[in-house]
Amino acid sequence: MGRIVLEKVTKNFGDTQVIPPLDLTIEDGEFAVFVGPSGCGKSTLLRLIAGLEETTSGKVLIDDQDVTEISPSKRGLSMVFQTYALYPHMTVRKNIAFPMRMAGMSEEEQNKRINAAAESLNLTDYLDRKPGQLSGGQRQRVAIGRAIVRDPSAFLFDEPLSNLDAALRVGMRLEITEMHERMQTTMIYVTHDQVEAMTMANKIVVLQAGVIEQVGSPLELYHKPRNKFVAGFIGSPKMNLIESDEAKKHGATTIGIRPEHIAVSDSDGIWKGTVGVAEHLGSDTFIHIHGIDGCDPLTVRAAGDVSFKHGDTVYLTPDETQIHKFDDMGLRID
Amino acid sequence: MSNRTLPRLLQSPAVLLLLVWMLIPLSMTLYFSFIRYVLNNLRRPEWTTPSLSNWRGFGNYEFVLNSKDFLFAIQNSLFIVCSILFLTVSLGILIAVLINKTFPGQGIVRVLLISPFFVMPAVNAVLWINMILDPVLGLQGIAVGGINEVISGLRDAPLIGWFFSLWPELTPISFRATQTSAYAVIIMVTWQWTPFAILIFMTSLQSEDQQQKEAAILDGASNWSMFRFLTLPHLGRPIAIVVMIQAIFHLSLYAEIEIVSRGNGNKNLPYLIGEFANNNIGAASATGIFAVILANIVAIFLLRMVGKTLME
Repeated sequence: MGRIVLEKVTKNFGDTQVIPPLDLTIEDGEFAVFVGPSGCGKSTLLRLIAGLEETTSGKVLIDDQDVTEISPSKRGLSMVFQTYALYPHMTVRKNIAFPMRMAGMSEEEQNKRINAAAESLNLTDYLDRKPGQLSGGQRQRVAIGRAIVRDPSAFLFDEPLSNLDAALRVGMRLEITEMHERMQTTMIYVTHDQVEAMTMANKIVVLQAGVIEQVGSPLELYHKPRNKFVAGFIGSPKMNLIESDEAKKHGATTIGIRPEHIAVSDSDGIWKGTVGVAEHLGSDTFIHIHGIDGCDPLTVRAAGDVSFKHGDTVYLTPDETQIHKFDDMGLRID
Repeated sequence: MSNRTLPRLLQSPAVLLLLVWMLIPLSMTLYFSFIRYVLNNLRRPEWTTPSLSNWRGFGNYEFVLNSKDFLFAIQNSLFIVCSILFLTVSLGILIAVLINKTFPGQGIVRVLLISPFFVMPAVNAVLWINMILDPVLGLQGIAVGGINEVISGLRDAPLIGWFFSLWPELTPISFRATQTSAYAVIIMVTWQWTPFAILIFMTSLQSEDQQQKEAAILDGASNWSMFRFLTLPHLGRPIAIVVMIQAIFHLSLYAEIEIVSRGNGNKNLPYLIGEFANNNIGAASATGIFAVILANIVAIFLLRMVGKTLME
């Protein structure tokens, strides 16, 4: 079980309020991702749930029990840190055993759980090594192993993949997602990487300056961003936001159109522009186009085999059904 | 000239200088330790100049080994060094952990804590033995006298007087006495060198990973467990360094011993050498060779220990 509810939670550091009153519910078994630019308060929020920071006001409930005043270790949560936070003087086995040892668990039960965790994380051969002798990915696995053996009601991940290289990150991303599918335990995952958020989450919480901008499933956020910030943040490459007469034609202050919803042609189309940079990825080509009123450059995602060069004149046609409209407050108009 | 000769030639002055620096004193000490050589002897004036014709073989060594103070000096050297090490390391860790937290006036407290280290050893000894530990005029004498006065005053008080009349009168301890002079030296050197330990431990504590501690909090570790399993292993290396440096320094304590009791009841090897060197240079040199051997044994032992922690 692991239903986590935040009720009117706030957090001040001195006189600055980093989190204004905030309500959030994470259902049991959900994979929730807190995403936002750096400094948006997502890590602080996670630390509030873990109990590493005290709330200034408001309540944190886990399975309907008020844990606001309860010490971190008694909340039944496990956390995986960005720097792994392994104990450098202990072997992998002792690292994983540490929480059970602190809880006074029997040697026999400890070994059983260590072996099970090591097996599922491919760590069996490394149990007698020290963290200093492991690679980044292995260290991250040990940290996860240490979290698993406590049998927590929820896992908390604080940017666990940002210290890994790109290839390893994709692998670990899959492993963590698979682990969630298998265990069906609540997980809360903090990241600044919207790709991680989109690929892993059941529920994405987009934060900016301590305020929740939108909560929803990845595709909800993609198709129906509640405001300009979410529209710009979710999706890669970023959505083009156009503020000009073109927007007024649609009865909005700003219109947004994703790069993948614009057709590009060298002969005819609604908008005319010149190619700046064309990034060839093989499968796709990202073309940055100048000369469109209200949005410079405008990004278009085209097929991999188009051959536009710098300086070419191109014509663009947006898919009318995929245009997002925002009012002067930046909110979505339906 | 092969391509190795030139570099070696260029190195040679430095190497030669170091050899001379080290070998001449050592070989002279060795030479003196095998001859009869005294500074003043009216019956045998020929012994007052060093010469091979005064060859004594291992006679000086035998003389030193049989002198009543030799074994005592070795024991006492080790006793003083080990006590100081134990006290400075444990006090150092305790205080370093204590002042590692942020509190108002932190900067001033830290400077004050470091300051004993800047006092000269002789001044330190004079200060402690005369102004603090003196049984009459020192802080100790005044404090004991004050307590005695208060107790004797309370003896006449109604109701509780009977309780205090059971108390004995306290006598101050004389730290210049044979039985206590070693303790006086240990106290004053500990006072002076604890700041060194604090300084090293404090810098090490500041480099401790805070996320590790947070992970330990979530893992349900108590403050004691965190100290025992995280902080103490983290301090392993600095502890080894503090122990090694201090052992080297404290094997050669001299000023404090001289000032506290002039060696009365408290000698170490350097002090014994000094005593012999008043007249008997041969015996002093033999003692010096013993000191070199002891220092080497300690050094090998310590290097092993430090090496082991550094390997981890």
